[in-house]
Amino acid sequence: MSFMGGWNNAANQSVNMQNMAMAEQELEMVSDLFNRIVSSCHQKCIPKTYIEGDLNKGEAVCIDRCVGKFFEVNKSVGTKLQQMSGAGLPM
Amino acid sequence: MDFSQFNDAERNHLQRVMEQKQMKDFLKLYSGLVERCFNDCVNDFTSKTLSSKEASRKTLTLDFLEGCIQKCADKFLKHSERVGQRFAEANAEMMGGAK
Repeated sequence: MSFMGGWNNAANQSVNMQNMAMAEQELEMVSDLFNRIVSSCHQKCIPKTYIEGDLNKGEAVCIDRCVGKFFEVNKSVGTKLQQMSGAGLPM
Repeated sequence: MDFSQFNDAERNHLQRVMEQKQMKDFLKLYSGLVERCFNDCVNDFTSKTLSSKEASRKTLTLDFLEGCIQKCADKFLKHSERVGQRFAEANAEMMGGAK
């Protein structure tokens, strides 16, 4: 009955609201980043003339590069902001 | 994501949060797709119903002839899937680099 044990365990355990808020915020951040990449790269890589339902070679390569570049931009902007906040400049 | 540092009650809580988020994301995907494909495919208002060019009708013989809306939705989902694959790779790389 290890499952019941686990369930009872959960009922007795306390939930650390601060940790939960942090985990939820991280979840929100990752999914927001993903959604922004999807919409940016769709705008940049997929033409509005829908000739076919599949991604063609060019579109697929564009998407791969677009995601890579978005991550690079994300990283370099992050580094920049970190430097600024480290230098005590107002954000 | 790694939730291994949390106890069962906290994991249950996060599970519920994620389920709610999934529902919200699905509704957002639905409305977003409708808006995107409507804007990209429907520009002609000389008739009340969608033309065959805009959206294919369900016919037995002409199923392979897809309309703009079918292609738009199909392509967006494939786009999103591919972004997801690259995203997972890049995210794993970023997390690995941070530790």
